[in-house]
Amino acid sequence: MKILAMNKIIEETTIDVCESVDNAVVIYTTRQMAAQIGFNEAQQFLIATAASELSTNIIRYAKKGFVILRTISKNHDSRGIEIIAKDNGSGIEDIDRAMQEHFSTGNSLGLGLPSVKRIMDEFFIESSPENGTLVIAKKWR
Amino acid sequence: MNAEKQKNSSSNQIDGNLALQILQQIPTPVMAVDPNLQIIFMNQAGCRFIGKNFEEIKGTHCYSIFNSTHCQTSDCRMKKVIDGGERFTARNQVNIDDRVIHIEYTTAPLKDDNGNIIGGIEYILDNTERVRQEQKLREQNKIIMEISTPAIKLWDRIVVIPVVGVIDSMRAQQMMDTMLKEITQTSAKVIILDIHGVAAVDTAVANHLIKIAKATKLMGCRCIISGISPAVAQAIVQLGIDLGDINTNSTLEDALSDAFALLKFEVISKK
Ligand SMILES: Nc1ncnc2c1ncn2[C@@H]1O[C@H](COP(=O)(O)OP(=O)(O)O)[C@@H](O)[C@H]1O
Ligand SMILES: [Mg+2]
Repeated sequence: MKILAMNKIIEETTIDVCESVDNAVVIYTTRQMAAQIGFNEAQQFLIATAASELSTNIIRYAKKGFVILRTISKNHDSRGIEIIAKDNGSGIEDIDRAMQEHFSTGNSLGLGLPSVKRIMDEFFIESSPENGTLVIAKKWR
Repeated sequence: MNAEKQKNSSSNQIDGNLALQILQQIPTPVMAVDPNLQIIFMNQAGCRFIGKNFEEIKGTHCYSIFNSTHCQTSDCRMKKVIDGGERFTARNQVNIDDRVIHIEYTTAPLKDDNGNIIGGIEYILDNTERVRQEQKLREQNKIIMEISTPAIKLWDRIVVIPVVGVIDSMRAQQMMDTMLKEITQTSAKVIILDIHGVAAVDTAVANHLIKIAKATKLMGCRCIISGISPAVAQAIVQLGIDLGDINTNSTLEDALSDAFALLKFEVISKK
């Protein structure tokens, strides 16, 4: 998968996630950031949902990790939001399968990762047993 | 200033002595190590931070001084820049003489005039206060989340459960328990789950809602999910979630009139 381009970072927050309250922090912070750069309410809700999918996966499959939320810009005034989810868990065995709808090793819906990809404009995932899982997703205004 | 002069002054930069004084006096620890992670420089703030003179630590391995969570693991950002990485910032915890300090450190490669990597540099910021604040926030959030889910008997055999904030598995289980108990205790026939106040409907939340609706149905009770705002509706579609035959409404008011219809109640206005 293609590495995403680096963008100018305007603001950044790191949230450690290991229990479901941290997920709440991720959701609220994402919504707030999305609102700040002018996403409408439905979009704020969607982006927060995508962030929540990623932090939920960290808690469920890797126990702990962190989420970095950034407001970014490109071409002067185009603004966006970047979600980076990273853990040092045991990684995803088969990324292609994990990206398919309804695939789950956790006995749940298996719609999280494919939804994040659909909701966001740019998506990158990398996973290995040594380094855990990294997901980067961006949404532009 | 002419171009020649400007070029000269920027290549000479400032006097080496002054540069060293500045580095020494920067009020946060700055350190440099050689490729074997042996300390070749530590400024005054750094020496104060670890409580030793530079002479005592010169040539010592940095990991034996800092004893941090990242030390001697693949997480060590100093090793990463020595191995060719550009620049890293990470949170970490150092352990110096029984003191545990939360820090954030930034590393970059140390290069000679020819651009060869000859070690690494790092500066350290004390993160203790930030970590404390975050911990407090975390505890507060926990309390808010633990406020139990209320069930409100709205009408004969009609119960409303408003869902506010963030739903996690524990909370979903709590909601399920509350609902099932309410059904048996009040012989409710319609339960309205109002999700107008939830912060996000991700697939896990949707899955919980589906399960709750199924369980109520098994107990001979109808479940209506209300408070589906345009944002929630869009999220559910984008997530590809199939709510099956669960009744949904955009407002609590609509859900209530559906409940009345289900129970064959009629609301008549007195002329
Ligand atoms: N951070 C992670 N670490 C390890 N495995 C993961 C991680 N995130 C996702 N996975 C794997 O990918 C699968 C699909 O994830 P997802 O699409 O979110 O669906 P679900 O969480 O419902 O299973 C998971 O079942 C799990 O096996
Ligand atoms: Mg998931």
